Amino acid sequence: MSALAPVTARRWPLVLAALLVLTVGCADLVAGRSLDARDVWQVFGGDGDPAARHIVLRLRLPRTLVALAAGASLGLAGMVLQSALRNPLAGPEVTGVTPGAVLGAVTATGLGLAGWRSPAAVVVAACIGGFAGAGLLWLLTGREKSDPARTAVHGVLVSAVLSGLTAMVLLVAPGELGSVVQWLVGSTEGRVWEHWVLLWPWASAWAIAAWIMAGPLTLLRCGDEQAAAAGLGTGRARAAALGCAVALTAGAVSAVGALGFVGLLVPHLAFAVFGADLRRALPGAALLGAAVVTGADAGAQWLSRALAGALDMDRLSVPTGALTTCLGAALLLAVARRGAGPE
Amino acid sequence: MTMATRQDADAGPRHAERQGTLHIEGVRFGYGRREVLSGVDLDIGTGESVALVGLNGCGKSTLLRLCAGLLTPAAGRVRLGGDDLARLSRRNTARRVALLHQSAPAVPGMTVRQLVRQGRYADRGPLGMLRDGDDAVCARAMADVGVGEWADRPVDSLSGGERQRVRLAMALAQDTRVLLLDEPTTYLDLRHQLEVMQTVVRLREERGLTVVMVLHDLGHAARFAERIVALRAGAVAADGPPAEVVTPRLLAEVLGVAGRVGRDPEGGWPVCYPDHPLPLGGPLAK
Repeated sequence: MSALAPVTARRWPLVLAALLVLTVGCADLVAGRSLDARDVWQVFGGDGDPAARHIVLRLRLPRTLVALAAGASLGLAGMVLQSALRNPLAGPEVTGVTPGAVLGAVTATGLGLAGWRSPAAVVVAACIGGFAGAGLLWLLTGREKSDPARTAVHGVLVSAVLSGLTAMVLLVAPGELGSVVQWLVGSTEGRVWEHWVLLWPWASAWAIAAWIMAGPLTLLRCGDEQAAAAGLGTGRARAAALGCAVALTAGAVSAVGALGFVGLLVPHLAFAVFGADLRRALPGAALLGAAVVTGADAGAQWLSRALAGALDMDRLSVPTGALTTCLGAALLLAVARRGAGPE
Repeated sequence: MTMATRQDADAGPRHAERQGTLHIEGVRFGYGRREVLSGVDLDIGTGESVALVGLNGCGKSTLLRLCAGLLTPAAGRVRLGGDDLARLSRRNTARRVALLHQSAPAVPGMTVRQLVRQGRYADRGPLGMLRDGDDAVCARAMADVGVGEWADRPVDSLSGGERQRVRLAMALAQDTRVLLLDEPTTYLDLRHQLEVMQTVVRLREERGLTVVMVLHDLGHAARFAERIVALRAGAVAADGPPAEVVTPRLLAEVLGVAGRVGRDPEGGWPVCYPDHPLPLGGPLAK
């Protein structure tokens, strides 16, 4: 059948993206200080000295896996949000989800309920915060949820208020300030198996939920009237999609903090590469998100090493979030310059 | 191309005959306090082609949305093929009535084929998988309106007239007996207007579709519909075949313009020659 030809022809971008993720993951494993690629290879071959084994298997591997899962979650969350709100400028960062999750995590840490040593409590706190942020937006937009412009304005408002609250918590209870700053910027430093064990079941469950909603989400992008005429209950579909996006974001934020711009920009890349059908674009967004975050993590480690060498500062480390934000801002500028504009 | 469409597969000819009927019974509807429809009764039979005409804000588009089940009447009911629309699920409604909107946002990068496939949403299986035959229905819908050759082009690269045809194909892909069109020719140039209208007429004749369309152009209504329903201030002001309904009186009382009505020398359908708008508060006032 002739209809099959274009489908198989369009499969290679997904394969390429998967290869990219694999490459970036390997790069992240060998990016850190004190061990080079050969040492890492030896460890995976079953050799290597105990110190190297500890570094690779107990520190680098979980860190890379957490970066991959968090990146995939953020990419998915962004695409689900942009489709459900029919808004190319929607992203977890500007719809109150990420700031809410950060506020939750920071508050829990400030109150001493959670910390780096108790990741589960942080996940719960981040989820509560994320849902609270999204719920606030939901209440504020009222009956105008299908209006992208109003949602965007209210989203920025909610995000600003939540960030302000986070700052207040930080001033009142500076506590574990160092680790809290990592939340604000986003970092994969010090993620261990415990984080991975908490993140992956949550992320995969919601990723599957997102993929099940691919059909309704594609239709929602065609506009509410058209979607309803084609047989979609738009209100319920949008609510389900938003819930899924919040859950994905909260999971990612609880693991790596507020990585900037990933959820906003990865969907644009994914739509450009994989097309407008979300059954293909959603897996694409997950792969690209994983590649971007893990790549940024590898890049941040290389950069830290180079800067530490140049400045002779031993403990310098560049947070991953700083890199994604700079990268994202540059990309956003490029997109805006190209005049793609909204819709 | 051989395929069993839903209509063919239905229980029997009488059932199929009933599928295309639309009964509007004492329907009232308002947005907030503003009443838009104040008691409309209308019976539309299978295979009829009805044009709804009237001034802006007279309730034409609202009536069409009520017929598509997108709005629920405040009083009265709309029955589609004998079933009260208020009791049908969104999905089951979409399996029986399709609505072409006046305009819709273009999705960046979505191809013609992908958009037309969205019309199959109500018929999809679990996980949104297309069933056997769905591709064939889409291919036929695209061929019907002549957009098959652009199947893999992005919709946002097409012109306004081409997009309108693609969206008509999406509505046809719903494979319904009843087709509702909300100002299908707005924003189109004369050539594309005629193309869309003739496609609709041809499809109605070939498939026995029931077609209800809101038209601003009384000329199109008189030529392409078999029945004209004129609405004024939320109620039916005139109802009948174009030759009877399209008169200088209709122009004055329903559309608020003074003018003359003649006949097309070749086709014989009524042709309007509007002259000037009548002052408000004249014959228009209820």
